[in-house]
Amino acid sequence: MSELLSNLWMGFQVAGNPYNVLFCLLGALVGTLVGVLPGIGTVATIAMLLPITFGLPPVGALIMLAGIYYGAQYGGSTTSILVNIPGEATSVITCLDGHQMARQGRAGPALSIAAIGSFFAGCVATVLVAALGAPLTGLALLFGPAEYFSLMVLGLIFAVVLAKGSVLKAVAMVVTGLLLSMVGSDLETGAGRMTFDIAELADGIGFANVAMGVFGFAEIVRNLELPAESRDIVQSKITGLMPTRQDLIDSSGAIARGTVLGSLVGILPGGGAVIASFAAYTFEKKIAKDPSRFGRGAIQGVAAPESANNAAAQTSFIPLLTLGIPPNAVMALMVGAMTIHGIVPGPQVMTKQPELFWGMIASMWLGNLMLIVINLPLVGLWVSLLRVPYRLLYPSIIVFCCIGIYSINNSPTDVVIAAIFGVIGYWFVKHDFEPAPMLLGFVLGPLMEENLRRAMLIARGDATVFFTRPISGVLLSTAIILLIIAGLPKIRRRRDEVFVE
Amino acid sequence: MSEGLSPSPQGTRPSFSVNTHNLIGGLIVAVLAVLFLGYAFYVPNAVIPRFLSAALIVIGIATAVGFLPVHGPRDLYGGLALIMLATLALIASAELPGQRGFAFGPGTAPRLFSFLLAALGAAVAVGGVFAEGPPIEKYKIRGPSLVIIAILAFAAMIRPLGLVPATFLAFMVSILGSTEMRWIESLIAAVSMTLFCVLLFVYLLNLPFQLWPRF
Repeated sequence: MSELLSNLWMGFQVAGNPYNVLFCLLGALVGTLVGVLPGIGTVATIAMLLPITFGLPPVGALIMLAGIYYGAQYGGSTTSILVNIPGEATSVITCLDGHQMARQGRAGPALSIAAIGSFFAGCVATVLVAALGAPLTGLALLFGPAEYFSLMVLGLIFAVVLAKGSVLKAVAMVVTGLLLSMVGSDLETGAGRMTFDIAELADGIGFANVAMGVFGFAEIVRNLELPAESRDIVQSKITGLMPTRQDLIDSSGAIARGTVLGSLVGILPGGGAVIASFAAYTFEKKIAKDPSRFGRGAIQGVAAPESANNAAAQTSFIPLLTLGIPPNAVMALMVGAMTIHGIVPGPQVMTKQPELFWGMIASMWLGNLMLIVINLPLVGLWVSLLRVPYRLLYPSIIVFCCIGIYSINNSPTDVVIAAIFGVIGYWFVKHDFEPAPMLLGFVLGPLMEENLRRAMLIARGDATVFFTRPISGVLLSTAIILLIIAGLPKIRRRRDEVFVE
Repeated sequence: MSEGLSPSPQGTRPSFSVNTHNLIGGLIVAVLAVLFLGYAFYVPNAVIPRFLSAALIVIGIATAVGFLPVHGPRDLYGGLALIMLATLALIASAELPGQRGFAFGPGTAPRLFSFLLAALGAAVAVGGVFAEGPPIEKYKIRGPSLVIIAILAFAAMIRPLGLVPATFLAFMVSILGSTEMRWIESLIAAVSMTLFCVLLFVYLLNLPFQLWPRF
C-alpha cells in the first residue's frame, strides 16, 4: 500500500510539473476541438495530432498524447450525441440514447453526464491501474492464444446480442468484418491477400476509412432521403445545460456499474473499450425497471457506456504497458509514438522507467480532470453547433471527413475507399444490416486471426483445444449460451415490436 | 416505411409471377455472378467459387422470372450479396497457399471465414425466401450520388489541384445533393468552410497540404 502511494506520488510529481500540466491541458483542448468535428474520431484525431508531440521530451509528449486521447474521445462522444455520428467504435452506443436526448432538447445534460461519468470512471480506473498493474500482469499471462481467441469470440457475441434486428444477420456482419480485415499483407508470411494487385490495399483497409464510410457518409446519405422536418436535430428549447439533480441520481448507479464493468473488460486485450461500452449498455438495459426507455433518451444509456469506455480506455493501458500488446487502434498509435521516442512498450517500462510509467498513470487522471475543466464550461459552445442548418452542416461534414481521411496517409485512395464504404453502408441500411458488428469484427479481425493461428499451431492442429483448455472453454461456452438465449426470445420480442409500431 | 412500392402479389401464387423488382434484382445477381464466374475461370484453383457463381446465376435467373418466391426481399438480396462477397473473397484468395502441417497458411483463414460467410448468407437468403418481410425501400438517386461524386471529386482533385479548390468544389458538389439548396448562402458557406479548413488543418495543425495547383 505504501509502495503504491509512493509510486503514485512520484507519478503526480512528474505529471504535476507545470510544463506537463500545460501539455496535458493543451492536448485535451486540441483533442476535443478536433475530435468534436463530426466524422473525425479518436483514431483520426490522434493520428493527425501525433506530429505535434514529436518535438517534446518523451514524458511530456506521452502526457500530451494522453490529453489528446481523452479530449478526442470526449469529442467523439459529443458528435455522437449532437449529430449522431460516432467517430469511433467506442461511441457507437452513445448515439442510441445520447442523440435521442439531444433531439428532446437535452443535449446539455447528456454532454455533462458524459463528462462527469468519464471523470468518475477515470478516477477509479487510475487507482485501479496503479494498484492492480503488477498483479494483473500475472493474470493476463495465464491467457494463451486459445484464451485470447475465445475471449474475442465472446466479445463479438456480446456485440451481436446488442445489435437491433436479426441475430443471424448480425453474426453475418461480424464475419464480413473479419473477412474485410484480412485484406492486405499476411502477418506471418507477408503475402498479399485479396488485394487484387492494388498497391494501396497491401497495407489493408484502414479502420478510419471503413468507420467514416459506413457511419459518416452513409448516415449523411440516409439523412438526405428523409424529409426536412424529421431530421431536424435543432431544437430551440434546450432546457438548461447542466444535468438536474434527478439526472444525477438516475445516472449515479449507471456510472458506478459502467466503471466497474469497464475496468474489468478493459484489462483484457481485444477491443476492451468497445466491448465495455456495449456490455455496459446491455447490462443497464437488462437490469432497468423499464427497458423500453432505452433508445428513447434514457440518461443511463449515456452514463453507463461513457463511464465504461473511459474506464476501459484507461485500464487498456495495462496490456500495453505490461505486455506491450496494443489492445486497440489508439493504443497501436501510442506504441508508434513511444517507439519514436525510443521507448519500447512492455514489461520493462515499469521497472526501467518508473517515472515514465507512473507519470503516465498520473497524467491519465490529470487528463480527465482537464476534460471536465474544459468541457463543462464549453458545453454551450458544442451545443450551439446544433443550430447550423443541416443543408449547410452536411457538406461541411463531408469536406471534413475527406480532409481527415486524406491526412492520415496522404492518400487519395483512402478517400475513395471511404466513399465505397459509404455506398455499402447505405446498402446495409436498405437491407436491415447493422454496421456496428461489422466494424467490431473488422477491428478485432487481425488479433483474432493471429491468436487462432498461434493456438492451432501450439495445439498441433487440434481444434478441440478451444474447449479443453478451461478458461477458453468457459469463455466459449458462455458465448454459445449467450447466442442461444439471445436468438430465441429475440425473435419473439422483435415480432412484438413490429406489431406495436 | 417504404413509399411508392406496390405490394407484390407473388405470395399468393405458387409459381411464375414476374415482378419488376425481382426481375431487376434477380438480373443484377445473375449478371454479377456471370462476371464472378468468368473471373473464377481466369484464376487457377478456384473450383469452389466456380460452383458458387454458377449456383448464384441459377438463383438469380430463378428470382428474375419469378420461379423463386420472394417473401422477404431485404433478406433474400442481402443474403445473396453476402454469398457474392464470400465468392469474391474465395476467388481472390484462391492462389494463396493453404495449411502446411499444423501451421495455417496465409490463405487458410480467409477461406475459412469465406465459407462461414457463404453459409450465413445462405441462411439469411433462405429466410428471405420463406419468411415474410418488408419490401426494399426505394433507392434515391440524387442525394447519394452527388455526395459520392463530391467525395470522389475530392479524392481526384486533392493531389493535382491542392486543398483550396478541392475543398471548395467538393463542398459545392455535395450541397447540390440537397433539395433545399440556395446559391448565395451555399457560396458563402463554401468559402468560409474552405477558409476554416485551411486555417485549421494547414496553419493550426501544420499538416503538409498543398494549397493551390502547382504550375
